[in-house]
Formats: sequence, structure tokens, C-alpha cells
Amino acid sequence: MSDHADDVTAEPADAPRAVFHVEDLRVYYGDFRAVTDVSMDVHDNEITAMIGPSGCGKSTVLRCFNRMNDLIPGARVEGRLDYHSIPLYDHKVDPVEVRRRIGMVFQKPNPFPKSIYDNVAYGPRVAGNKKGLDDLVEQSLRKAALWDEVKDRLKNSAMGLSGGQQQRLCIARAIAVSPDVLLMDEPCSALDPIATALIEELMVEIKEDYTIIIVTHNMQQAARVSDRTAFFTAEVDPNTEQRTGLLVEYAPTDAIFSNPQDERTENYVTGRFG
Amino acid sequence: MDELRKSFHQELDDVRADIVKLAALVTEALPRATEALLNNDLVIAQDIIVNDDELDLLSVGIEESCLRILALQNPMAGDMRAVVTAMKLNDEYERSGDLVVNICKGIRRLYGLQLSPQLRGLISQMGDEATRLLRLSIDAYFEGNAGLASALDDMDDRLDDLQEDYIQAIFDDQHQEQELTTQQAVQLAMVGRFYERLGDHAVNAGERIQYMVTGEVPEHSAAARLAERTDEGQSEAGMPDEPDPV
Repeated sequence: MSDHADDVTAEPADAPRAVFHVEDLRVYYGDFRAVTDVSMDVHDNEITAMIGPSGCGKSTVLRCFNRMNDLIPGARVEGRLDYHSIPLYDHKVDPVEVRRRIGMVFQKPNPFPKSIYDNVAYGPRVAGNKKGLDDLVEQSLRKAALWDEVKDRLKNSAMGLSGGQQQRLCIARAIAVSPDVLLMDEPCSALDPIATALIEELMVEIKEDYTIIIVTHNMQQAARVSDRTAFFTAEVDPNTEQRTGLLVEYAPTDAIFSNPQDERTENYVTGRFG
Repeated sequence: MDELRKSFHQELDDVRADIVKLAALVTEALPRATEALLNNDLVIAQDIIVNDDELDLLSVGIEESCLRILALQNPMAGDMRAVVTAMKLNDEYERSGDLVVNICKGIRRLYGLQLSPQLRGLISQMGDEATRLLRLSIDAYFEGNAGLASALDDMDDRLDDLQEDYIQAIFDDQHQEQELTTQQAVQLAMVGRFYERLGDHAVNAGERIQYMVTGEVPEHSAAARLAERTDEGQSEAGMPDEPDPV
């Protein structure tokens, strides 16, 4: 009999590891409570999708994961948010290091007005990495499935790329600094279906190396790419008429889209919501 | 709460109404077929055979509607389960309609045969049981009643028992004064088999309805037996407790 036979809390060796442990997270903008009641574990090497109607707080929660809310005046985060068991909002934690480890890709592709090469090399250079930049740029562009399309014009301006290419360049730029997690805020909403399919395929390929959290308005996209899905909604306080976002249901994606347990999730994914 | 996808949900309601109509057509045809069998009535038998085309047309329409919904509407959650269930039920009831036609074709082949009172009684009871199972399956679908849907499996045992008695009665008839020919005995046995299969389709429908309502796929009895055997094989090499039903 093993020494841990009585330890009911011991997890099996192949249990997914939690990159983020979130417990009763609340986000305030001044006196306004924007999000409440968020408890979830984000697992290693999985794609976690956050879906819900506008104003449900999903982007607000996403920004908590790399402390981007710090940049918004009056924003305050309460509750527990651990990153690899370390409280992310502890005053000893350096937000710059947090954002290196936890990269972000935004809705609108935002390459720097520099060459393709310099965009990817920017992060490593800032970090003081000057050796082997060529290899690093190539590897990052390959991982982002962009290398073959740009290898002959690395010195050209990134602004000349198509929208889909620019977004993949932003992903290459994010992974060039060897992050652990990639946060994606509506990464395909400005792209056509083919560029969207390329990014989705890319996400599935790179999840072996990264943990990905994606906010999307496109339920089909969440269904196609993610392993787990979190459904958020907003509730209106009848007295103050303030809308507060909350996490309704968090489960494996096939469960959310085939047999959700909460009626609000069912109503949202079937379009009986308004 | 405002309904956002009205036209899509109207399409789903239409499919549902068509499935109920399909099942109702079969459920109405079955007692008529049984009566025709007992009364040697070739006119009614022929009428049911011809009317099966209407069932087939309806079934094709249901399948096309479901395929269109899958291709264009991306149904999710309960809607997805409703469409998948409609496609499965469509097959079950369409096949049930074919079995009723098979019974009617058997009437032609058995024409002129005077059935023994025992066989007449058993055919009448099998007809009633199969009709009851079909009707209850469609009630379960219409009401979204998973409990009733799951009860169909046990209810079908009675039809299975009747069919066994019926086969025995055919053997017994072979020793009576008016001996059945081999051809007649085989035809009668096949008719019994058609009734028994009708019950099985109602049970299958019940399983799909359980999935539609609960989101859980009910375990098929054979799958349960295999899982049990596998478990037993791991703990101790042994035989299943119960032999397979005949």
C-alpha cells in the first residue's frame, strides 16, 4: 500500500496541472464592481475559451491574468489569482516579468511600424538578448506559421502584410520572448475566414508549448479550438442598474456545447438569449 | 427573455411535428395490419403497402430538413441533441413502417390459411403490445419524458415473451389435424419476428429520447454486458452471471 493511500487530496500523476488558480475573483473600477464570482483553474497546455455577451466581463478577467488592469486608473482586483501557486497580485511580483511570461495578442493586429524581423526581435533585444537573434526570429516565425510567407522579405515593413499575416506576426512577436501563457483577446474578429482558420490551426499546434486563454465572441471558434470553455454573463442590479459580469459555467468544451448544466448557458449557446 | 433565433427554432419545431406525424402514421397502420392479418383482408393489406410511400416521402423530407439545419444553423446544446435525435427517430419510425408493410406482404403469402385460436390470440396480443410501445415512445418524445422513454426497454420484455409463446404455438400447430406447411410455418414465424422488431425500434427510440432530454447516451445492454465481462476478467476469470437472452 502506498504511503499516500489515505491522502484523498493527492492527484493522479497525469492530472492536468493548473497554471492559474482563480478563486472568488472580483474586479472593481472605482466603486463599480465590473466582475464577481469568478472561480476557475486554467490548465497547462490547454486552450481555455471565455465566451459570453458584451459587457459580461470576459475581457476584464483576461486582463487580470497578466495584470493589464494595473494600467487602468481606479481598477482593483480582489480575491485569489495564483500563477503556478504564486499570488499574481502580490506586491513583490514584478508586473513586467509577469507580462513577459504571460504574453498577449489583441483584437486588432498591432505590429510596430518596423520591419518584420525587427518586430519579432524587439522583445528579445529589450531583454538584452543579442546573440542568435536570426535563429530566434526564424523559429518564432515558423511556430507562428508565417516563415514561408515572409522569409524572403524579412527587412520589409510589417505594415505591408495582410491582416491575417500581421496577426500571426504579433503571435510570433509574443512567443519570441518564450512566454508560458498566451492571452488572446478576440484575435480573429478582424480577419477573414481563411486567416481565421490559419490562426485557429496555429493555436491547436502551439498549445503543446503554451497555455492559451482566448476571449471570443465566436462560439463556433470556442467550440472548434478550445479544451475548456468558461461562459460569462452579466446581471443587472435592480436598485443601481449596474451590470456586473459573472462566471456562470466552466466545463470541458464538449459539455458546454452539447449538454450545458446551467439554463443560462443553454439559452446563450442556442440563441435563446436577449 | 427575447427569442433571438426565431426562424431556426421554428424549423426545429416543424421537424419535431413531422416526426410525431411519421410515428402516428405507423402507429395507426399497425392495428389495421393486425386486423387484416386476422381477417385475411388483402384490400386493407394492399392499402397499407401503398400508403407506405407517404411515410417514405415524409421521412426523406425530415432527413433533408435535419441536414439543412446541420449545414446552415450550427445547432448547439439542446438544439443539437434535438436534431440528432430527430434523425435517429426518423430512421427508427421509417423502418417500423417498413415492418408493418412486411406484415402486410405476409398476409398475401398466408392468404387462405385458417389460423388456430391460439395463434390468433397471440397475434392480436403482439399487435396490441407493439402498438402500445410505439405510442408510448412518441408520447415520451412529445413530452420530453426521459423516465417513460427508459421504461420502454422493460415493457418490451412482454412482447418478447409473447413472440416466444407464438413460435412455440407454431410448432404445436404442426401436430394438429390441419398441419401447417413448412412455407406457412416460416411465414408465420417471420410475421412474429416483425412484431418483435417493432418493439425493438420503439426501445431504440426511447434510448435516443433519453439522450435528447438528459444529454447522456444510455448504455446499450450489449455494451453493458461487455463492460461487465471486462471488469470480471480483470478481477477474476469468470463467466457472466446470466446467459445471453435468446
